[in-house]
Amino acid sequence: MSDLQTSAVRHAGAAAVPDGWQPQIVALVCNWCTYTGADMAGTTRLEYPATVRMVRFPCTGRMSPLMILRAFEQGADGVLVSGCHPGDCHYVQGNLVARRRFTIFRSLMDFLGIDLRRLHFAWVSAAEGHKWARVVKDVSAAVTAAGPLPRPPAADGWEGPALPAAEGDGPEEISAADAEALRDHLRRTAAELLESGRAGVVIGHRRGSLPGRLVPVMAATAAECRELEWGEGALNNLVTYAATALQRAEKAALVVKACELHALTGLIREGQVARERLLLVGLQCPGVRPEGALAAKCLGCSGAPHPACDLLLTPAGVSEGGSGAAAPAADTDDARDRQIAAIESLPAGERWLYWQRQFARCLRCYACRAVCPLCYCSTCVADKHRPQWVPTTIDARGNGVWNVVRAMHLAGRCTGCDECARVCPADIRLDLINRKLALEVERHFGAAGLEPGEKAALVDFRMEDPEEFIL
Amino acid sequence: MAKVGVFVCHCGENIARNVKVQEVVDFAHEVPGAAVTEHYPYMCSAPGQQLVIDAIREHGLDRVVIAACSPQLHEPTFRAAAAQAGLNPHLVEIANIREHCSWVHRDPIAASAKACQTVAAAVERVKRAKPLDPIEVPVTKRALVIGGGVAGIRAALDIANSGQPVVLVERQPSLGGNMSRLSETFPTLDCSQCILTPLMVQVSRHPLIELMTYSEVEAVSGYVGNFTVRITRKPRYVKIEDCTACGDCAAACPSPVANEFDMGLSTRKAIYIPFPQAVPSTYTLDADRCLNANLQSPTGFRVLGCIRCAEVCKPRAIDFDMQPEVVERRVGAIIVATGYDLQIGQQARECGYGVYPDVMDGLEFERMLSASGPTEGEVRRPSDGKTPADVVFIQCVGSRNPKHGVPYCSRICCMYTAKHALLLRHKVPESRAFVFYMDIRAGGKGYEEFVHRAMEEERVMYIRGRVSQVYEEDGKLKVLGVDTLSGKQVEINADLVVLASAMEPTDHGMIAGTLRIAADEHGFLKEAHPKLRPVETLTAGIFLAGAAQAPKDIPDTVAQASAAAAKGMELLSHDALERDPTTASVNQTACAGCFECLQVCPYGAIERQEVRDRQGNLQRYVAWSNPAMCEGCGLCAVTCRGGFIDVAGYSDEQVFAQLGALGPLPEVLGR
Repeated sequence: MSDLQTSAVRHAGAAAVPDGWQPQIVALVCNWCTYTGADMAGTTRLEYPATVRMVRFPCTGRMSPLMILRAFEQGADGVLVSGCHPGDCHYVQGNLVARRRFTIFRSLMDFLGIDLRRLHFAWVSAAEGHKWARVVKDVSAAVTAAGPLPRPPAADGWEGPALPAAEGDGPEEISAADAEALRDHLRRTAAELLESGRAGVVIGHRRGSLPGRLVPVMAATAAECRELEWGEGALNNLVTYAATALQRAEKAALVVKACELHALTGLIREGQVARERLLLVGLQCPGVRPEGALAAKCLGCSGAPHPACDLLLTPAGVSEGGSGAAAPAADTDDARDRQIAAIESLPAGERWLYWQRQFARCLRCYACRAVCPLCYCSTCVADKHRPQWVPTTIDARGNGVWNVVRAMHLAGRCTGCDECARVCPADIRLDLINRKLALEVERHFGAAGLEPGEKAALVDFRMEDPEEFIL
Repeated sequence: MAKVGVFVCHCGENIARNVKVQEVVDFAHEVPGAAVTEHYPYMCSAPGQQLVIDAIREHGLDRVVIAACSPQLHEPTFRAAAAQAGLNPHLVEIANIREHCSWVHRDPIAASAKACQTVAAAVERVKRAKPLDPIEVPVTKRALVIGGGVAGIRAALDIANSGQPVVLVERQPSLGGNMSRLSETFPTLDCSQCILTPLMVQVSRHPLIELMTYSEVEAVSGYVGNFTVRITRKPRYVKIEDCTACGDCAAACPSPVANEFDMGLSTRKAIYIPFPQAVPSTYTLDADRCLNANLQSPTGFRVLGCIRCAEVCKPRAIDFDMQPEVVERRVGAIIVATGYDLQIGQQARECGYGVYPDVMDGLEFERMLSASGPTEGEVRRPSDGKTPADVVFIQCVGSRNPKHGVPYCSRICCMYTAKHALLLRHKVPESRAFVFYMDIRAGGKGYEEFVHRAMEEERVMYIRGRVSQVYEEDGKLKVLGVDTLSGKQVEINADLVVLASAMEPTDHGMIAGTLRIAADEHGFLKEAHPKLRPVETLTAGIFLAGAAQAPKDIPDTVAQASAAAAKGMELLSHDALERDPTTASVNQTACAGCFECLQVCPYGAIERQEVRDRQGNLQRYVAWSNPAMCEGCGLCAVTCRGGFIDVAGYSDEQVFAQLGALGPLPEVLGR
């Protein structure tokens, strides 16, 4: 056993199960196939355990993963989701889109340590009364074996097991002279862009009040351009400010690191910014050092400016870019992957405890939301109260739901800029969750979805998408 | 606070045997908001319904829960009862305690506990229900038929004969489609032209049919009952109203080109009429083939190099300056009848098609058999014009073989091959006909008998097996194959080889994109349900007829066309449509405009709408769900990250409330 496993705490779910205990299972079923199939089980008088409570939906496509979460949160020991077989959907593709959502949601639940014996998916047609009875029996047996839903444990200490260190070489170092040359290129280029009218404003970095830290600035004058800076302290993902800049000026130039560019692709695809109004300035990046050490995302990065940028700035000079290079696949070596693997190697109960400890620290300050370039809703679902999608309480329930919502909303969209993890005052490893889901999306549905004009993975589907987990 | 009435049905013994009804009533009484709790042996009976109606009136109930059988059975019954008592029918919720409870759980304690929770959850859900009114959609009383083959002709005539106006759009210069190319039709050997041309004339004379030939549907917007169609009328350069179809122009025209109506087996002129019986009976100038094509003076003015046709045209019908014209029509229903092409794929080329002139496909042979065809009905080899003695017909070329073509069966080839072989034997009595087949599919009235007639009376030799190779040797086509019944190699020295190649939808089903309807992987347009809604599409108001939907023969095509017409007439018979109000709606104030809802919607019901400020400046785009098109599946609602889309009748609030009541068993039920 690794240090990690021996240091883990006993799973709270192992409490004694009362005699004759029967699980409570909530079944989310579609109206056209499974609900009618269950009717058929009734008219055929098939007997099955009285453990399921049915909730009728028009389609599996109407079932939000948050509704599954809601059932657990209300105390259900297990959840069963069932709808039409692929190709039978009353709404043609509802179950196919839903299947992708469920695939990712299930991966997330597994990563967060929910016992997968509690969460089941099935296709039961209107003719499959027998299958419905069998599915309920099987699911009941699985949930019974998992036992009553454990109450959230008291997080004994904030620190979880230590994860292996993130390792990697990081980008090539930039000498002081080169750094100065690069900065001069940036200042001169920015001034030229403003002067020539190619951009009304340049979003970049300037010196902040803390030593070594740069802060975002929207430079609109030549004087402001002379203050632009670049280097290891340029932490912020400036893509977050692209939409705001475009409210000020018809055209904006944006200083981007290679790791940030794909957030912009997401915003373009989702209609939040128009590519033709942006001028992308890519700079040779020395890597960023939020806490002195090189950020985990930088460890596997070369630091070269992304060729898709309109202007490429290296110490050697300024060149035109603009090649339509595709997004790199998520499934490349990444320093964070060893840490993800370490968490995955833990038994489910201990994984759960790891994340419960992490989430217990959450202050619900929503800094992760504020900094995320892809969180742009006018009102966040976490702030809605009819219904109360996310409990507002800062406890295991509320924090757990919030972090799951955030992760699901970024699945298939998050591009790994790691800003959320950087700004989290409680040091919750949000980057690991995001990266895990990005890998899951890519593993199941391919690397598609990062080109503007393409559909994001979770609004798309293929008939032959994998579904080995569906009963 | 809502006043909910809970009515628990015994269903005789059906529910009461395993569910303790009194306990359910007592439990429901404790649920906040439950004002009245009643039970009755048969709630669906007249006195049972009266009980519900009286309670609504007497206690002023504003919500009702019926705990009884499946909503699939009696939801309409109780909704009607509520409406009778003045309550909106969507404020009725059914708790299924029979099919989902008493019939499947024998233990009365467990079954009763489940029934109690189910009813409580239904009460919580119905408390958040909102009254909904049916959505009214006005109907434009005109139909569009796309495609002027036999399917489109039949559908247009049926609708027009019912008294509704029709716009019929055909891409070619004449009505008729593929059927007008056929010589005779199986199994009766009716002359195809003889049965089709009278219908074509009827169409052109019908006062309610606006016929647009040489025209194409460019774009369709709108929704059921309210489509707007943009149609491009290609210039004919001949004024239809002046042309007398005398043919002087074609005689004068110096530019011969391959005649596509004869599948390239003959030539026509650049100014032409596709076939003598064409409707409308008028000439068309093929601008791409005319000698004047692309002629331009250095100053940019068009110059005419050849005006021989115009010179000989006595009625002065030729107008070189005609321009394409775009017209718009508003229609309520659309029938798609765009038909098929024959596919020439890899397997056809392996059989020598395109390599040897004496290998032809079914439609080419059809033209050769036709009395109005390039040989005036005589069977002659294209290579040397000689009458063939031995003719080999090969079925399933490119069909039923996903590796070398399409996986599906083209359905008509068995029959037309039998017809071809039989007609060959009629026309060339000393000839021999050989048919290579996989199996004979002759399911149709009189079809099996027809194939037998070819086999027995006309002694057509049927060889069960595939052809491996066709090559030329000593002026003959050597056809190598296997007779799988005897297991022997077969070698035939043929004079002519006719391939029954696969049918595929016209332009690979491109029309699906224009209409935003679904097509399968081969481009055949997809029906809403293969059995119960075979002529409807998932887009309300758009119907399918003919081979555009799947390969089919003339009788099935005509039957489907009449079916599609009936569906269209049903739609057009209403002044307004009533649709189920359980549809999605967008909170436009909050919408962030990512339009992922638009991407997932199977019905194209989500539209982009502009938001403008008071000065009229465009602020942003937001989503709008068209209630006339939305089917209420809820895909968009879950896709919307902010939760700005909700589905009436299945609202987030209702679902959350229902889930909230399904937690652990309350103490009282844990006994």
